[in-house]
Amino acid sequence: MDFAVIFVIAVALGFDYVNGFHDAANSIATVVSTRVLTPRIAVVWAAFFNFVAFLVFGTAVASTIANDVVVQSVLSIGVVFAGLIGAIAWDLITFWLGLPTSSSHALVGGIAGAAVAKAGFGVLITEGLRKIGVFIVLSPLLGLAVGLLITLAIYWVFHRNRNIERLNRGFRRGQLVSAAAFSLGHGANDAQKTMGVILALLIATGHLAPGSSTPVWVVLSAHTAIALGTLTGGWRIVKTMGSKITRLQPVGGVAAESGAAITLFATSIGGIPVSTTHTITGGIVGVGAARRLSAVRWGVAGRVVWAWVLTIPGAFAVAWLTMQAVDLLS
Amino acid sequence: MDRRAAFFLAAALVCAALVPVSEGFAWVAATLSGVYLVLALGSWLDARSHRRF
Repeated sequence: MDFAVIFVIAVALGFDYVNGFHDAANSIATVVSTRVLTPRIAVVWAAFFNFVAFLVFGTAVASTIANDVVVQSVLSIGVVFAGLIGAIAWDLITFWLGLPTSSSHALVGGIAGAAVAKAGFGVLITEGLRKIGVFIVLSPLLGLAVGLLITLAIYWVFHRNRNIERLNRGFRRGQLVSAAAFSLGHGANDAQKTMGVILALLIATGHLAPGSSTPVWVVLSAHTAIALGTLTGGWRIVKTMGSKITRLQPVGGVAAESGAAITLFATSIGGIPVSTTHTITGGIVGVGAARRLSAVRWGVAGRVVWAWVLTIPGAFAVAWLTMQAVDLLS
Repeated sequence: MDRRAAFFLAAALVCAALVPVSEGFAWVAATLSGVYLVLALGSWLDARSHRRF
């Protein structure tokens, strides 16, 4: 394996680390904002479940990223590198602004932008991009609906219980499970995107035959990188997700995380790359909407939606420019 | 109309609009659209009953 391939794999794992740093903050936002765990223990808890996700889920999402975004013949070391730079730059810009955008869609936008810069719009696979695009809209709505239905079910089951303090204590323990489930889903869906990029690179450079499955060392290194990113944490976004959209009690935390976790499990099994940010935002809004719509701070939720809309074009543009620079230099 | 019911109705319409373009996953969009329709109806009835009493 030559130096350029190793370097781009290192950049991909760097993206995975930034993804953990940027997105995994969402998975511990509710558990921290409801004071179930201290921030330090919460990141260790989330990182552990990020890592063990490889034992539970397959690599269907990795296959979608490697095969269904752009035609494989256009992929090269330069394209993958430029795509990753576009995604990382967009992630860091939105991290600096405190916006909970999607690293996943930044990656898709970045790879698409770099491929288009190299060979034009004809290299985009419309079917794959349409599937990803549809779930940009559906995943938060799915998280919202499931989060809301779980909240209603909890209210219905426990509506006769008058001992609120005891009930809250029970849900605080329950949040440990729901946070773990969400981190598991996060590790499964997000780490696989990096695996997909590395898989595409290895196929493009002839290190693997087309249609190969993801090697174990790629799976392990991607999960390690995202878990390390989670350990480092990203507190600006935790604040936005955990308290600015709606105030959460432990019962709400359980419902939001469970809704988001169910969405992530289903999409990971279905091979659909979705954003953990989108799903947990949907779950949190669902919990707020179960009480009353005014419990949701729509100004913040609207800002989040704008960030979603801009993510793919933003990462696309940065990657396009990077690809032009790579072409000039080479 | 109750704001929450209007929000759920809008979500149902968005999901319904995605059914034709969700090849292979149309059932997800259709089911979600149905769920949001039920939620919109429930929310509207809830708001209506609160107004009455």
